[in-house]
Amino acid sequence: MRIVRPTIIYALLVLIALAMVVPLVWMVFTSLHPPHAQIPTMSNLFRPDGWHFENYREVLTYGELPIWRFAVNSFVVTAGVVLFQLVLCSLAAFGFSRLQFRGRDALFFVFLLTMMIPAQVLIVPLFTLVQKLGWLDTYWGLIIPYPYLSTAFGTFLLRQFFITLPRSLDDAARLDGCGDLRLFWHVILPSAKPALATVAAFAFIWTWTDFYWPLLATSSTTMRTLEVGLSVFKDSYGGMRWPLQMAAAIIVLVPVLVFFLAMQRFFVRGVILSGLKG
Amino acid sequence: MRVVRMRAVRLILGSVAVVSLVGGCADDEQAVTTVLRVANWGGAQVESEFMRLERTIWEEFETTHPGVRVQVEQIPGRGQYAPKLLMMHVAGSVPDVIQLDASSAAVFIDNGVLLDLAPFVERDQKQKEFDLGNYFVKVLDVARRGDAIYTIPLDFTPMVMYYNKKLFDEAGVAYPQPGWSWDDFLETAGKLTVFPEGTRSPTRYGMFFENVMPFWVLWLWTNGGDVLSPDGKRASGYFDGPKSVEALEFLVDLMTKQRVVPHPRESSAAGVDLFRSGRAAMDLKGHWKMIDYGADGMDFGVVGLPTNGVERVTVVYASGLSVARRAKHPELAWGYIKHMTSFGVQVRRVASGLAISGNKAAAAHFAGTPVEDAFLEEVQYARPPWGATVERYPFIEELGREMMEDILYSDGELSVEEALRQTAKLIDAALAEP
Amino acid sequence: MAALRANNWRGYLFVAPATLYLALFAFFPMVFAGYMSLHRWHLLKEDHPFVGLANFTTILADPFFRNAIYNTLIYVAFSVPLGVVTSLAVAALVAQRLRGVGVFRTLYYIPAIGSKVAISMVWIWILLPEVGLINASLKWLGGEGTTNFLAEPGWAMAALVAMSLGIGLGPRMIIFLAGIQSVPQTYYEAAALDGCTAWKRFRHVTLPLLAPTTLFVVITTTIASFQLFTEVYMMTRGGPRRTTDVVLYHIYKEAWQKFEVGMASAMSYVLFAMILIVALLQFRIMRRGLGEGATA
Repeated sequence: MRIVRPTIIYALLVLIALAMVVPLVWMVFTSLHPPHAQIPTMSNLFRPDGWHFENYREVLTYGELPIWRFAVNSFVVTAGVVLFQLVLCSLAAFGFSRLQFRGRDALFFVFLLTMMIPAQVLIVPLFTLVQKLGWLDTYWGLIIPYPYLSTAFGTFLLRQFFITLPRSLDDAARLDGCGDLRLFWHVILPSAKPALATVAAFAFIWTWTDFYWPLLATSSTTMRTLEVGLSVFKDSYGGMRWPLQMAAAIIVLVPVLVFFLAMQRFFVRGVILSGLKG
Repeated sequence: MRVVRMRAVRLILGSVAVVSLVGGCADDEQAVTTVLRVANWGGAQVESEFMRLERTIWEEFETTHPGVRVQVEQIPGRGQYAPKLLMMHVAGSVPDVIQLDASSAAVFIDNGVLLDLAPFVERDQKQKEFDLGNYFVKVLDVARRGDAIYTIPLDFTPMVMYYNKKLFDEAGVAYPQPGWSWDDFLETAGKLTVFPEGTRSPTRYGMFFENVMPFWVLWLWTNGGDVLSPDGKRASGYFDGPKSVEALEFLVDLMTKQRVVPHPRESSAAGVDLFRSGRAAMDLKGHWKMIDYGADGMDFGVVGLPTNGVERVTVVYASGLSVARRAKHPELAWGYIKHMTSFGVQVRRVASGLAISGNKAAAAHFAGTPVEDAFLEEVQYARPPWGATVERYPFIEELGREMMEDILYSDGELSVEEALRQTAKLIDAALAEP
Repeated sequence: MAALRANNWRGYLFVAPATLYLALFAFFPMVFAGYMSLHRWHLLKEDHPFVGLANFTTILADPFFRNAIYNTLIYVAFSVPLGVVTSLAVAALVAQRLRGVGVFRTLYYIPAIGSKVAISMVWIWILLPEVGLINASLKWLGGEGTTNFLAEPGWAMAALVAMSLGIGLGPRMIIFLAGIQSVPQTYYEAAALDGCTAWKRFRHVTLPLLAPTTLFVVITTTIASFQLFTEVYMMTRGGPRRTTDVVLYHIYKEAWQKFEVGMASAMSYVLFAMILIVALLQFRIMRRGLGEGATA
């Protein structure tokens, strides 16, 4: 019994892991096949006609679909959203947790309500609004009107965290004569680094892998983000040239994977924070 | 650990900031030069030899126009070109030059996306810098509305039947002759199909097939049927008329009964073009495919489409260059158009085999080979596509594609006649909307 | 000790930016969507005549839209229960105190943060006839392996459901895991003393205590599954034979291929109503089923 149970569990774990790893392995090997090859079968997957690392070079240097440009766009937009959300959410969370004012809890409740609105309802009018603002096909249009309501979520998360910070911190600072802003900047924020990192990590992933809004908010090729750009790549190859398609897909997947592996602790914490208080 | 993580976060955010600054700076550099944006529907499928030539031609324009950079933006994806370009128009970020496809010309023209080029033409005609007479009338007419001209022809192609000479020789079958009938076609396809005993599907087909309505609509036309009434306002009675039903039944039977044409189930498994890989002996395509076949070294021939008791007919798919109404540099765009459609550029561009040049002199330059002459001969039988005049036609092609899928994947449950009738009603509903 | 000071006006300052932002980019669009849905509004044409509820009656009578609603409900009905159950099972697996379990936990989270576009591209291969992973495996096991899953009406939807299990696993697993791990050891010890087997322990101790967590996961998964889009856009385009045309994809086509944003806004509201109703129903049902403790 002692040996059987762990063995069964390990077996199951490995089985599930295989389901996820096998496609990845196939992607990597296919991407090294000759560009015009037919889809590799089980027999020749590991033995292509030469190892075509230049597939990656071809994808990266294809002038009319500049993947490096897509990457830059994704970076700019993601960094913009993360910074913007951090500022907005931390300010609001501070207000909701540390300060008293009339209607505070009612307003917070309203914030929570916005988390209930699914993005679809907003996207059509948001698009029209952004068009009228002249922000379509610009970085502004991608960063500011981010319809995924991470504002409410981030505020909620940070407020929950701020509440757990001991009041003694506040009292000590106020005794030193700190006003609200200094309290916020010099005391609360530094103590909240893990929570901020969590919000940042979530915002990063959501923004980086978002598809729907960037699909609509960008139309010229040079403004596309990586996610949308990859779909354009796929369209451009039709149903063919799988090795190149897979090379492009891998190029897009790698940064997120690296980021995630570095930041996983924050994800776990963030998911838990949001789930258990939910 | 926490400290390390914080440093990592700061490092990442910091480098992001640097990158975006650099990205921003690069943009500033570009502000000094004028960027002329050109949209086309290219994709990474096109052979790189041709792309290299294209890039050389663009560079020439840059050389004769110092301070100008040509930025080509590809918008791939079947059926995506028009909607995406319209989105750019809506967003106010439409490119200066738009390559226009005859099959969706109406969408652009009738929605005010394009600039009327007649004033430019008139002005330059007087100064002998441009002559409209250099271009094929049939192709010019595609994008004309009264006196307004919306596009200058770039190149065009009638749709024809390609055949793989080597496969024909191996099977001892005579090459198809112009004016051949559907019966001739069926016989030929049958002889070229290789369907060994005991296998599930043929190892070689008579003809390749893709569910692309711009291609298979020709079967309707070569039987005397059509999608819409002559005025383009109604589908009922035409799309579901007896000739159209007969035509599609013939086509579907090729896949399901005679098995000389691959059913989409069979062709999607390969992930490659069956004609190119030698697993199909014929294919209904246009001039542009010659580039790929040439690169493969295929010995091919070209012949007009088989007809069933009607006059020879085919469609001409044309592309032209237009200027967007909201273009930032209309004059420069016009200059680009003149450059691209000039004899000198056209002669080199279509040397690759892309299409027949819209410029008559350039087209004549390539006449004289059997293949090219076969194409040129077809031009007289060619009709413009519906998309040139009917705004909602791309949507109709969507409906047609879905209908074909319905028919083919219903395994006989949905009859061709029933499908055509239902779809004709849908088309009428779509055309009736204001 | 000084209690929280009643800093009336400065509090407003702190929350002002976020409030303003939400007002402008969440509330206003919602109201504007309502406004647009009452007009005939085409992105490329100039005038937008008021049509009252005509858009709503049109779309509710439109067989294609109803088909989209039907498809969406089918997807939700399958992917939610399956998704919740599988992630609970996986969470139970990775909750085991075995060496190296953490590695698996990380691995299982990866599909959740990967690019949906890239994942879709790989799944297209997985589902291909003959050479795709599934069919190749079937052939290896002696079967036919000819089913083109993405081109067969029932199978395409099944494939999308299967994809959602892997992609949605990460966060759900973590939440369940946290719930499982928060069950006090003493409960287990008591149950063991009573002679309960592992499975019985799980069923009678863990599961009931997970009730609030389960409710949370069910509702969030439901809301998320109504938002299916990327996979449909990349893999099926609503086909085959319109069996994967889900509401969000249908709205996309209406708004940005036909440019009828008035209609699309009406559709968005219908979708919103659907989500609200389903979420409320789930809340009610589960609360009754799991007892009052579920919503503590």
